[in-house]
Amino acid sequence: MKLKLAFFATAMTCMVFSGVAEAKPVKIGVSLYGLKAEFMQLWAAAAKNSPAVKNGTAEVTVLDGRYDALVQQSQIETMINQHYDAIIFAPIDADAAAAAVEEASKAHIPVIGTNTRANTDLLTSYVGSDDVKSGYLEAKAVLDKIGCKGNVVIIEGPIGISAQVQRSEGNKKALAECPDVKVLAMKTANWSRAEAQTLMEDWLTRFRGRINGVIGQNDEMALGAIEAIKAADLKVSDFAIGGIDGITDALLAVKAGEMTSILQDANAQAQGSIDVAIRQVDGPSYKPQSAIWAQYPQMPWDGGTAKNYNVPWTPVTPENVDALLKVREQK
Amino acid sequence: MTNEGGGLVVSARPTRDWSRFHTARTLLKSYGIVSAFVVLCVSLSFVSNYFLEIGNILDVLRQTSINGILAIGMTFVILTRGIDLSVGSLAAFSGIVGASLATSSSVAGVPGSPYFAPAAILVGILSTTMIGSISGGVVSCFRIPPFVVTLGMLSIARGLTLLYSGGLPIPRLTPSFRWIGTGDIAGIPVPIFVLLVVFVLSWWTLSRTRFGRYVYATGGNPRAATTSGINVSRIRLLVYVISGATAGLAGIILAARTGSGLPQAGISYELDAIAAVVIGGTSLSGGIGSVTGTLFGALIIGVMNNGLDLLGVDSNYQQIFKGLMIVGAVMLDSTRRSDDH
Repeated sequence: MKLKLAFFATAMTCMVFSGVAEAKPVKIGVSLYGLKAEFMQLWAAAAKNSPAVKNGTAEVTVLDGRYDALVQQSQIETMINQHYDAIIFAPIDADAAAAAVEEASKAHIPVIGTNTRANTDLLTSYVGSDDVKSGYLEAKAVLDKIGCKGNVVIIEGPIGISAQVQRSEGNKKALAECPDVKVLAMKTANWSRAEAQTLMEDWLTRFRGRINGVIGQNDEMALGAIEAIKAADLKVSDFAIGGIDGITDALLAVKAGEMTSILQDANAQAQGSIDVAIRQVDGPSYKPQSAIWAQYPQMPWDGGTAKNYNVPWTPVTPENVDALLKVREQK
Repeated sequence: MTNEGGGLVVSARPTRDWSRFHTARTLLKSYGIVSAFVVLCVSLSFVSNYFLEIGNILDVLRQTSINGILAIGMTFVILTRGIDLSVGSLAAFSGIVGASLATSSSVAGVPGSPYFAPAAILVGILSTTMIGSISGGVVSCFRIPPFVVTLGMLSIARGLTLLYSGGLPIPRLTPSFRWIGTGDIAGIPVPIFVLLVVFVLSWWTLSRTRFGRYVYATGGNPRAATTSGINVSRIRLLVYVISGATAGLAGIILAARTGSGLPQAGISYELDAIAAVVIGGTSLSGGIGSVTGTLFGALIIGVMNNGLDLLGVDSNYQQIFKGLMIVGAVMLDSTRRSDDH
């Protein structure tokens, strides 16, 4: 009798708990370094459109870090207090991020890094792209166009964000292969089109007639440089301009032959992070729901517990740009 | 004091009466703010289960501490009819200076770092106190409007920060330095203690010392103050020194919390500080207000930010709410003051 009661009680408890586990969505908090520019907007939109969110498996709250490390740290502390199940983090500063990740780790909340890195081993996983590679590829595209000789300028991202550090590393690697190329100047425009435009205008005056190539560490800034060139009544075709991200305006500029770009898949980073985050909470039984895993066979799911998920880059060429634009319009 | 016709009247009231009248008025404003704060907290506790958890309360207080410290210093300045737009940049500067002396990175810091943490902290605070004295000096000696002087100093201090740090963050700060931002005493985070100490010192200074009276007098009616023998120029200089010191302290805590001296830290922090002061009932035309009000103003902003984060509300709405609160507070302030006449 007692055994039957115990069995019955256990069965009921299991049913109740499994019912609760199924009904309760995984609460994921996301702190993105900033939502001002298109790329991060694409990331946030992709997160909302992820199948796990749409079918209620996960509840994702995206917060804007406003380019401020302290704001991001406060947001993560709030997520810890709110007992979020998992955190996805794209930090503005790789070193300052370590403090926030440590706090989450102490509270046993998994932190999935995305898009930009945190300088800490405590990240549960990272779903992003290799910025050294993209830095190398974009610089190489520019250097190839100018025939490996001449002068270039480099427009950097916010100093200290991992993308800037690693893309600079990649830029330098490519430049090392072209010893005849001189870097006239290197300065940050903080991912901003407007800042880059002002910067490029000043450089066009300062280095009149000497700039052959512009390496913009992201598309926004490369587009700003293009605007500056047009405003100075110079021909864009006289310059080799490279960007990274594949935002819509850049795709159009590539189509018009004004620049080169490398597409960073915000969709894959967002939906990939969400799947990895849910896996951390729901355990090995969770099957990833996003289409991106099929889309990128070179980035296997690997049980969802790999430390690093390398989302591949897609160089934008005149051949594939129309297809990429079409995908963007559908979203 | 001015009479209805705007003429200059030297108060014939004994000092004691004036202080009671003053305290009552300040308390009215403070209670108004306190009740707004209580209402906000109660509503949030209904909306989110986690709002009243001790962990969250401590977090809100800790997150408010930096703006609170900035705002308390700002109160002194605004009471004298001045304003200090440079506090955000000053906070970044002190953070970088302190960090350069407290980093274990041989590349980023000054030779010989890391130094004794309290020394690094003190040097950071002193650096911005000195800059504050420059701002105060220009305001009081050259009679240039504080808005203009501190606006210039905002850019100068930011430039100095970028120059000194080479534009790069200064990471790997020592645990002893970071304690002021991340440590706790008996389970309560250190920044909360720092805020409390700053608050108590400032409250005591403004309400119980002669200097405090002079600050109110300088802002309330500078001409009467001068006639009464108060060195208005010196008061005007000293409040900017105070503002510089509090900005320095806030900047140190900021760097300690994030574990890195960040040259881009503190951007637009002066606006939040001013918002806290205004919401707290201090008048921008000087002479009226208290640090108690400022403290609650800062708490209201902190609680609101926390609450909206807990609810997962878009960050942009937080900006809108904050703006509405500032305007609402000033409107309330002006109707209350016109009631007095």
